Amino acid sequence: MYQLKAVDKKFPGVHALKAVDFQIKRGEIVGLVGENGAGKSTLMKVIYGAYQPDGGTVTIDGKAVRFQNPRQAMEKGIGMVFQEQSLIPNLTVMENIFLGYERQFVRLGVINWKAMSEAAKKQLAKVKLDIDPATVTSALSFAQRQLVELAKVLTLEERVDGDLVILLDEPTSVLAEDEVKMLFTIVRDLTKRASFIFVSHRMDEVMELSDRIYVMKDGAVVDVVARGAATAEQIQQKMVGRSVDQEYYREQRQKPYDAAKVLLEMDSVSLPGRIKDISLKLHAGEVLCLVGTEGAGREAILRTTYGMRTPVSGKLKIKGNAVSGFNPQAAVAAGVGYVPRERKIEGIVAGMNVYENMTLSQMGRYSRAGVLNVAAEKALARDWIGKLSIKAHSEYADCGNLSGGNQQKVVLSKWRSGGSDIMLLDHPTRGLDIGAKEDVYEMIRDMSDDGVGVILVADTLEEAIGLSHTIIVLKDGAIQQRFECRPGAKPTLYDLLHYMI
Amino acid sequence: MDLQRLKPHFPWITLLVLVAFVGINDPNFLKPVNLLSLAGDIVPLFIMALGLTFAIYIGGIDLSAQSMANMITVVASVYLASLGLWAAALCVVLGFALGLVSGFITTRLFVPSFISTLAVGGVCFSVAQWLSGNRALNMDANQRDALFGWMIGRTGIIPNELFIAATLLAICLFIERRTTLGRALKAVGAGELAAAASGLNVTRYKMLAFAISGTLAAIAGLLFSVKLSGGAPTIANGFLLPAIVAVLVGGTPLTGGVGGVLNTAIGTMIVAVIRASMLYFGVQATQQQMVFGLVLIVAIALTIDRSKLRTVK
Repeated sequence: MYQLKAVDKKFPGVHALKAVDFQIKRGEIVGLVGENGAGKSTLMKVIYGAYQPDGGTVTIDGKAVRFQNPRQAMEKGIGMVFQEQSLIPNLTVMENIFLGYERQFVRLGVINWKAMSEAAKKQLAKVKLDIDPATVTSALSFAQRQLVELAKVLTLEERVDGDLVILLDEPTSVLAEDEVKMLFTIVRDLTKRASFIFVSHRMDEVMELSDRIYVMKDGAVVDVVARGAATAEQIQQKMVGRSVDQEYYREQRQKPYDAAKVLLEMDSVSLPGRIKDISLKLHAGEVLCLVGTEGAGREAILRTTYGMRTPVSGKLKIKGNAVSGFNPQAAVAAGVGYVPRERKIEGIVAGMNVYENMTLSQMGRYSRAGVLNVAAEKALARDWIGKLSIKAHSEYADCGNLSGGNQQKVVLSKWRSGGSDIMLLDHPTRGLDIGAKEDVYEMIRDMSDDGVGVILVADTLEEAIGLSHTIIVLKDGAIQQRFECRPGAKPTLYDLLHYMI
Repeated sequence: MDLQRLKPHFPWITLLVLVAFVGINDPNFLKPVNLLSLAGDIVPLFIMALGLTFAIYIGGIDLSAQSMANMITVVASVYLASLGLWAAALCVVLGFALGLVSGFITTRLFVPSFISTLAVGGVCFSVAQWLSGNRALNMDANQRDALFGWMIGRTGIIPNELFIAATLLAICLFIERRTTLGRALKAVGAGELAAAASGLNVTRYKMLAFAISGTLAAIAGLLFSVKLSGGAPTIANGFLLPAIVAVLVGGTPLTGGVGGVLNTAIGTMIVAVIRASMLYFGVQATQQQMVFGLVLIVAIALTIDRSKLRTVK
C-alpha cells in the first residue's frame, strides 16, 4: 500500500539515497538495517515527510503523494516514534497524547479533562499500558514513555481514514530485555491496526520482529531479506560488504601492558557527591575500563582526569608530576586526550571543517606567533583521512555533515595526531554501527601498541570485557572490585554485575 | 536546500540590487565622487561594526560600543591638549580595558553579554557626562590638524578614512582567517562546549573578543571626534543600531560561528546605501532609526541559526 519508487535524495557532496525502492503491505513489519551513513535516517525522513525527495515517486494505495512536512504525512496516516523521546516531561500523559489536538475536548474555551482522560485511556489500552492518564510524564519509566509515545502515534487511527504506517526508530535502545519482549508483543498485536517500519542497530531484534528486512548500504537498498531467509552474519556481511570478524573485540591483538611505566596515578581522589576515595593506576599500553551503572562515578573520574572538575581531596599524578591546577589546557599539555560521550556537542564543532577540527586541540603546534600554518593543517587532515579511511569528500567537509562513525574518527585523530598518550574514551562507540565500532576497536588496539594508556567507559559490558586489560567496577562513586582481564581468562558478565548492583 | 546554498550570497546580492535601484532612480548616485564621499562618511560606523563583529561572532553582543565611542570623543577632546598624540593611545587602551571588563563580567560572573555590555555602556556614558560637564567640547583646530589631520584629509579624490578602514579590515581579516585567535573564536561561536572539551581556554578567548570590540569602538570614537573636531556624551548616538544592522545584514548571525569581518564590510555598505537612499527619497533624519529597526528585525530573522536555539525567551 505504501510505496517508494526510485527515490533519490542529494545533499551537497553526498548522494544520500540512490534510486531506493521500498514498499510496505498492510499489517506488515518491515525491518530497516544498515551502517551509519548508509542512508537509513534519510530514508525515514523522506517517509515521514521531514525531507522531500529530489527524484522518484511516493505512492499510497497507488496514488502519488508529496509531503511538505511531517504533519501532512501524519494526515495520510504516517506516524513516527522518535528515538529521542518527544514527550514533554512536565505535562501529563494525556496532555502529551493529545498535544496539538486538544480541540476535540474543548467546550467554550475550556478543556474537558474528564473526556480527555477517557480518550487517553482508550489509547493507552491499545498498548496495554495501565496507568492513570493524569500521571506526569516524568514519573514514568523509559519503557512506559516509549509506550505512551506509541499510543500517541496510534491516535492517528481515529483521525485518519486509511491505513497507518508507523516508524519505530531505535525503540529498544534504552529498554531492558523483558521490556523489549513486551514491546515486541504489543507491536505484533498492533499489526491488525497498522504497519510498522522498525529500525535498530540490534540485528537479533530486527530479525526476530520483522517480516522482511531491507538492507541498506551507501544510500542504496542492497537486498530485501524475507524472514528466516538469511542468518545474522549473512545480513551483516551485506551491510558491511565484508565478513564480520569472529574476534569482534580484537582480543587476539591484546598484548600485556608495560607494568613498569605508570602514566597516570590517582591517590584517594574524592569529589563530594560523585566519587570517593578513588585510587588507580594507568600503565602504558593498558586499556582500563570503568564499569558501573549510570551515576556510579565513571564520568566524574574522566572529567577529573581531564581537569574539568577539581577534586576536593586526594592526589592526581600524570607521568609522575602531581597536578596542581585542574583545567583542560594543563591536561592537554600533559598529553591527555578526551573523547566525550556527547560527540555532536562536545566532540566535534559542527560548522568547522575536518582540518579545523583536527587541530583545535593543538593549534600551538600548527602556528608560529599565533599565525596558523594552514597548509600544514590541511596536510595533516588529508593524512588522517587516508589513514583512518574517513568518509569525507575532502578536508574542507563540514564535520557536522559527517556520519557518526566518521565524526568519531575525526575526534580520535585530533588527539592521536597531537601525540596524546593518555586517552579518555567515554562511550566511544555509542550510536555507531558495527563497521564503525570495529574501526574504533581496531584503533584502541593500535593505541595500546603505541604505548598509549586508555581509560574507557564502554557502551556495553561485553565491550568492556572484550577490550580491557583491567576492569574497575564502581558503585556509588567508590571502587568495588578490580579485575585482571587476560585474553582467555576474562571475567564474565555475572562477575561484574555482582559488584555493580 | 537551494535557499540554503544561496544564503551566504545574500549580502552582496542585496548590495548590488540596492545600488542598482538607487542608481536608476538617481543617476548622480553612481558618480565616483559621490560614492567615495559616501564611503568616507560611513567609516566610523564601519569601524564600530568591525569590532561588534567579533562579539557577535562568538555568539555574544556588545551594546556598549556606542557609549564607548561617545566617551572616547570626550576623552580625546579633553586630553588632546595635554597628552598630544598620546591621547590616541589612551583612547585605544581605554577601549581595550573596558572591553576586557565586559568580557570578565560575561565569562567569570556569568552575566549574559547583552546585560554586561549594557551596564559597561552605562558606565561609559556617565563617565563621558562627568568628564565633559555635560557640554559639547571642541578640540584646538590647529593641534588637531597637526596631529590627526592625516586621518581626515584626501589623497587624490580618495578620503583618507578609507585607507584607515581598509587597514583595519585587513588586520581583522588576518586575525579571523589566519591566527589561532580567529580559529578559536570560530570554534567558540560554532560549538563552545566542543572548544572547551578540546582544551581551549574559552574564557580568555571570549574576553579577547570583547576587548577587540571595545578597542575598535574606541578607534571609531577617536576618528569621529577628529572628524567633528570635538566631543560630547551623546555625539555618537544613533550609531549602535546601524552598526548591529551592518553586522547582521552582512551575514554574521546573532548565534555566531559563521560570517565574519568581510561580511561586515558588505553589511556596512548596505547600511550606507540604505542611508543614502533615504536621503534621496526624503526620509527625515528622525525617521531613519525606524527603518534601521525594521531592517534589523528582518536581518536577524533571515540570518539566525535556529538549530542552535532550542527556545527563545
